[in-house]
Order: sequence, then C-alpha cells, then structure tokens
Amino acid sequence: MPLLEIDNLRVSFTTADSDVNAVNGVSFGIDKGETLAIVGESGSGKSQTAFAIMGLLARNGHATGAARFDGQDLLSISKRDLNKIRSREIAMIFQDPMTSLNPYLRISDQMAEVLMLHKGMSKRDAINESAHMLDAVRIPDARARISMFPHEFSGGMRQRIMIAMALLCQPRLLIADEPTTALDVTVQAQIMQVLSDIRSNFGTAVILITHDLGVVAGFCDRTLVMYGGQIMEEGPTDNLFANPSHPYTSGLLRAVPRLDRDDAKLATIAGEPPDMSRLPAGCPFSPRCAQVLDNCRAERPLLETDGTRRRACHLPVHEVA
Amino acid sequence: MFSFVARRLAVAIPTLLILIVVSFVLMYAAPGGPFNSERPLPPAVLANIEAKYGLDQPFWKQIVNYVASVVTQFDFGPSFQYKDRSVNDVIAQGFPVTLTYGFWSFVVAVTIGVSLGVAAAIKHNTWLDYLAVGISIGAQVLPNFVMAPILLLIFTLWLGWLPGGGWNGGQWPYLIMPVIALSTSYMASIARITRSSMLEVLNANFIRTARAKGLPMRRVIWKHAMKPAMLPVLSYLGPAFVGMITGSVIIDVFFSTGGIGQFFVNSAFNRDYSVIMGITILVGALTIFFNLVVDILYAWIDPKIRY
Amino acid sequence: MLPNPATVESVAEAMNMAEIKGRSLWADARQRFLHNKAAVVSLIILALVGAFALFGGLLAQYENDFVDFTLIGSNAYKGVPSLETSHYFGTDNSGRDLFARTVQGTGISLMVGIVGALVAVVVGTLYGATAGYFGGRVDGVMMRIVDVLMSIPFMFVLILMLVIFGRSIFMLFLGIGLISWLDMARIARGQTLTIKNKEFVEVAHATGVHPVKIILRHIVPNLLGIVIVYATLLVPNMIIFESFISFLGLGVQEPATSLGALINEGSSTMQYGYYWQIAFPLFFFVVTIFAFFFVGDGLRDALDPKDR
Repeated sequence: MPLLEIDNLRVSFTTADSDVNAVNGVSFGIDKGETLAIVGESGSGKSQTAFAIMGLLARNGHATGAARFDGQDLLSISKRDLNKIRSREIAMIFQDPMTSLNPYLRISDQMAEVLMLHKGMSKRDAINESAHMLDAVRIPDARARISMFPHEFSGGMRQRIMIAMALLCQPRLLIADEPTTALDVTVQAQIMQVLSDIRSNFGTAVILITHDLGVVAGFCDRTLVMYGGQIMEEGPTDNLFANPSHPYTSGLLRAVPRLDRDDAKLATIAGEPPDMSRLPAGCPFSPRCAQVLDNCRAERPLLETDGTRRRACHLPVHEVA
Repeated sequence: MFSFVARRLAVAIPTLLILIVVSFVLMYAAPGGPFNSERPLPPAVLANIEAKYGLDQPFWKQIVNYVASVVTQFDFGPSFQYKDRSVNDVIAQGFPVTLTYGFWSFVVAVTIGVSLGVAAAIKHNTWLDYLAVGISIGAQVLPNFVMAPILLLIFTLWLGWLPGGGWNGGQWPYLIMPVIALSTSYMASIARITRSSMLEVLNANFIRTARAKGLPMRRVIWKHAMKPAMLPVLSYLGPAFVGMITGSVIIDVFFSTGGIGQFFVNSAFNRDYSVIMGITILVGALTIFFNLVVDILYAWIDPKIRY
Repeated sequence: MLPNPATVESVAEAMNMAEIKGRSLWADARQRFLHNKAAVVSLIILALVGAFALFGGLLAQYENDFVDFTLIGSNAYKGVPSLETSHYFGTDNSGRDLFARTVQGTGISLMVGIVGALVAVVVGTLYGATAGYFGGRVDGVMMRIVDVLMSIPFMFVLILMLVIFGRSIFMLFLGIGLISWLDMARIARGQTLTIKNKEFVEVAHATGVHPVKIILRHIVPNLLGIVIVYATLLVPNMIIFESFISFLGLGVQEPATSLGALINEGSSTMQYGYYWQIAFPLFFFVVTIFAFFFVGDGLRDALDPKDR
C-alpha cells in the first residue's frame, strides 16, 4: 500500500465571475521513502494539489475525491485529526522563504512550538532540539542564531530554517512546493543538497513540486507531468526524460537550455497557459499542441497505464516527436 | 531600546515647549487684556490687578516665568476670573473626572472594537461579518455630539433608566452614557481597521506555514496573526486618543459631568485665558506622552524597526 | 550632458503608452464606480442635498432670521412642521422658520467641508510632493514637522484662537485649514516617493527641468487619483469638525447657523418633545456624511482596485 494515495482529486475555487477548476481528477500514489516530482508550468494545478492534501486551500477553495494517508482520508477527517497529521506525519515547505516565516516571532519560538505541540516537550528541550535540527541543515552558529528574527537571515538561510522546521517531528512525507524558485542559482543547488541529505538521513518520502526540470533530473525517482489540472504523463524520471511519450513533456524538455548542445535557438511552447475557468472539452493541451489530432479537441484522452508509465494522449507513442 | 526612547523624547520635549510658547504668544497677542469687561475698571485698579498677575512685566520675562513655573513646578498660575482658584485647582477638580470616563471609553473602544474586528475577519462573509461592517459604517455618522442627544433621548427621556447628567462620584449609572457616547465612533473605527488588517494578515504566507504546522486555528490567530494585525490599530490609537480627549469637551457640556472640558468651555466664554492655556498644555502633554507610549509599543511588536 | 536620444525616444514612447493606458485607467475607474450602487446612489443624494442648500431658500416662505414673536411660548403646538403655516420643518425655539435655517445650515456645513478639503488638497499635496521629491534631509525635516503638528490637540488650540481673536467664519476656516492638510501631506509624500522613480520624472530631471516645474507638471498630476479619493473622505470629517465647534457654540455665530449649531439647539429642546427641532438638522447631517463616505469609498475602490 502506498504511503499516500490520491484518488480522483478535484479542486475548484468559487469566484465572483465563475468557478475556476484548478485540479480536475488527479490520481497518483507515493511509497515510503520515495521521491516524486510533480512538474508543470504555473497554473497547472500542481501547487493546489499539495495545498488540498494539507488542507491549506484558500477560503473559497473546495476539494473532492480522496487523499488517503495511512487509511485516513485527509479530505474528510476532522480538523483536529488533520492537525495531528500536519507537520508530525506530513510536513510542507513553501515557495517563498522570505514571507513564509513569521517576521514578528523569533526562530526559536516558531520552531519550538512544533515540538511542544506534537511531542509535548518543554520549551527548553524543544529549543535544544530545534538548534540540533538547524545544525543538520548546516546553519552556522545555530545555537546563537536561533533566537534571531527571520529578517536577520538571507533567503537561502530562511529556506534552510523552513526545512529544519518541517523535519522537527521527522515526518514520513515532506511536500516541497517550489522550494528553490525564489532563490539564486548557487543557493538553489545548496538547498537541493540539503534536501537530498535529509532524504538519505531520515528516509523521508518527498513530493517535489517544481517547474524546473533541471532540479528534477538528479533528485527524483519518479516524475509526474501536469497541465491544466490534469496528469499528462507519469513515469520513472530517467525513462521519462529519455523517452517522453507526450507532446507536452517533449515540448518542456526541448525548452530546457542545455550546455552540451550548440542550438542557437531555444524551443518554446507556443500559446498561453490555459484559462482554468474555461478549459476545452478535450485535452487541455490541445490548443497549444503541435501534433494535435481531430479528436483531441473534442474527447479527453484517458490516463492509460503501460508498465511503469502512464500517459493521457490520443497520439500513438511512437509518433510523439 | 534606550536610544530609541531617547530619540523620541528629543522630539517630544521640544514639541511640548513649542505648544506652551505658542499658546502663550496667542494669549499675549489677544486684542484687549483679560480684564477688559463691559464696565471699564479705573486705570489705577487695572494697573494693580495687572501687577498682581505679572502682566505689567515685559513680554520675554512673562513668558520665561510662565514656562519655568509650568515646567519646574507644574504650576499654571492663577485663574483670571476666579480670584480664589488657581488653574491647578481647576485641573485637580476636573481632571480625575475626565480621566475616569476617558479611561473606560478607551477600554470599551479598544476591547469591543478589536474583538468585533477579529471576529468579523475570522467569520469573513458570514452574518457576523456583515453585522460588524454594518455597525462600523453606521457609527461613522454618529460622532459624540450626535450620540449624546440620541442616548439622552432614549435612556433618559423615553425609558427613564439613566440619569440625564451629573457625575455623583462616578457611579456607574452616571458613567454609562458618557462612555457610550464617547467610545462608539472610535470603537467602530477600531473594528474596521482590525477587520481589514486581520483579513490581510490571515492571507499572509506565514499564516499558511503556521497552519501547516498543525496548530489549532485559535492558536494560529493568537500567536501568529494577532501581533501584526494589531500594528495598524496601534497607529490609530494616537489619533483616537486625541479625538477622545477632544470629545470629552462635548461629554462634559452635554452630561454636566464636570470634567476639564466643562471648565475649558466655560473659560472660553469667560475669556479666562490662564485656564484655557493650562488645559491646552495639559492635554498637549498627555497626547505627546501617549504617542510616545504608542511608538514604543510599536517598536516592541515589530522587530524590524527595532532601534 | 544630454541624454542619449534613443533613450529619450523610448521614454517618450513609454509616456505615450502610459497616457493611453492612463486614459483607459480613468475610463475603467468610471466603469467600476458606476457599478457600485451605494456610491452612485450617494452621489445622487449629494446632488440633492447640494440643490437643497443652493435653491431651498427659494421655497422657504420666511427669512431665516425672521422671528415670529406670536409663536414664542406656544411653540409646542403652533411651531410644529406643517404645510398650512408654510413652516415645512416647523420653527425653532425663537420662532424662526426651521426650513430656512436648515437650508442655511446645510449650505454653511457643506461650504466648510469643501473649503477645508480644498485647503488640504492644495497645501497638503504641494507640501507632500515637495518633501517626497527632494527626499533626504529636506524630507526628514518636513515630515518631522508634520509629526509634531499631528501630536498637538488642535481642537483645543483652535478654541483658544477663537476665544482670543473672536469667533468668525474666517477664523473657523483658518483653524480647519491648519489641521486638514497634515494627513494629505503624508499621503501625497508616500505616493510621490514611488512616482519619482518613474522614467518620465528621471528624464525631466536629467534634462535639467526646474524642480518646481517637475513637481507641478509631472508629479502633482499623477497624485490626482489618490488626492481626489482622500479629499472626498476629508469633506465629511471637516463637516463633523465644524459641527463639533458649532455644537459648543463657538463656531458660526447667530443669526447664521450650521448643522452642528442646529443639532445643539434641537438637543436642548427635545426634552420638551420638540423632536422636529433636532430631527431635521440631524437627518441632513447624517445623510450628507453617509453619502460622502460612500462616494469616497466608491472612488477608492474604483481608482485602486487592488485595495478592495
């Protein structure tokens, strides 16, 4: 049984003008200790999928389907039970480390409260433990700096603090929502290194949400590609990158700048990301797809399993360019 | 922290001195002295009186004497209209009254305003939210001088539940209407400010982080959202304080509570300059002190502007 | 040094774009304002109140200072509002026609509010724009002065002035003008700080345009939106301010009157059951204040949609 199993998840937001369907029937699982990448451009529904799992959707958001963790459906359990799972079993780190820490509280308070809440530790013990964890994510002089305020740290340091805070209770699953997007390239590499160390030291399963394929390649066992709130394709990362079986995936891969090839021009995917309040009836990618077929616009392709791979496309596999 | 307070004081003290000097100059520049009445006094008598109050001395000497006695001895001099009373006597009589109902009004405005605002923000777009917004919009058009007659009409003339005025040592039946009249519009403003700033804070990323930690909502609000949400409220407290102390004039006149506002208005009609000046300076000093406290509180909450 | 011609050209283009965008911005704002029912209704009400103040005198059957001695002592039954006696709103305690007096009081209150707001707009905008444009030490000193002035309880100083220099409308305007610009100066300064880094201001600065001209030509026009919003919200506050002073009997002097003075008179006779004497002035006061607040809110939402 997978650690977390998502079944036909749908997320919609009620707005004044219309309903926006951000996630439209997504199903996947993640095993213990596994690393899964969810890849897609902004607006593909990847972050909302994560928020739905954690019960962190905006006020006007609504999720249906199921997200089973240890046999409990996270979408339907009580707030009290969900609070017992948050951070203790499933922790999350966010895209923007600059604003994700409370600027009005000391790091020590923000970290210690997690342990005091979930482990019933005394404040002194909790702060000690937190300082250890800051050491583990390689924050220099953690003992002294733990009593500082967030604005006294750089962006990269703050993301390390977020990671340390998420790992305090040694959760079984860590959801990282674009953890490096807001950071400098050199800092990005450091953060990914920290995440990879953590994974091997604690055996934590990780869902890495990103639009950066370069980050995925060296880090994740399995990759899931989303577009328009639906899964386009899924498979073991190496296999999927070597043989993309969906026009969208191959488009994404062509758009990654590469040093080993001397292409003068970087390929882009023509067109705009979809309007989530008015998705086409067929494949959501069909308006931008270079290899679109007649039935693509009218009929939504089903997600079909083939060995370790899944894909949703009408085009036969061997014809994908 | 020390240097922060010192720097604030470096602004506050000159402000107060300027206020004292300006009011003194205004009084000095007044056409006709304080003892010009319909029945002119014989010149000899006038000279005598002016000598008694030190008005025969040169301008610079008068102002230095005045500032010195106010600053060093907290002595605002004698009243020009009542020979047996000094300005200090007037203040000693009226100030405790003003302070009492002013304190309660402030407490009511802040506690009810903040609770209403927080409740409305948490229950955004429910009947409670609409009620809070309705109340705060309605109270905008009910400044103290409108509230006072309406309250009097309802609770004294129609229902006969509360005395229409007087102080009686500040017993609660005499306290209720002054406090409601003075606090309502500020309560509404505080509720509105709290609601919008709380709504904004609840959308902040760090609140999402706090929720992801598994903290119960009550704790998220108290520990994580309250401090930042209170910052705009805190900056409003300075103007609210000025407004309330100004409004006390209306309260005293309307409910005959006998606070400094009553003496202030009486003196305004009697041209009792020394009392007007004394009260103006006292109120100014209070305001400046209060703003200082607010500034320090602000710096205490917001670590980013620390010292 | 002359700026690179290419830069000037591209900036000119940007300015044209901004202008086109600017125009549609105003059109957008009007659209949004017209969609706000409360604001539109309030605007109509304000127009009606204004018409009442301007032309209501033509309907009044009595002069506002005409004292009907026959009514004194029998106000309770003869002075009630009635179409027969042509005292539409009844009479006040001295037997004067309350309709005529309410017309006059509304007019004076509106005038005080609008003049106070205008002073705030002119003085506050120029002061704030100057402080924000020059920045640095000039800004520090100018805004510190505003801080100092804000921490003074002005109502008391104003009353002190009214006592010393005598009560008159002029003193009232002076006093209100002294206070009202402070907030506006702060708002205008904050906005100027963001505008002054825009290309068109930098180009003007680089080509040696005189600072006064930059402030008047380039900065002030761009402050217009926020200034209009704030001025609309300032008018009711000024009306409340004046009413406060008149309520104490220190404002407008007899036979002239304002809504505050009328509310004061009405509140002193309501214990005898002459409710109309407070009801009519209070009604016009509340309606006017309400309408101004709603129009101001509507304008703010229309001009600054992100702030909703």
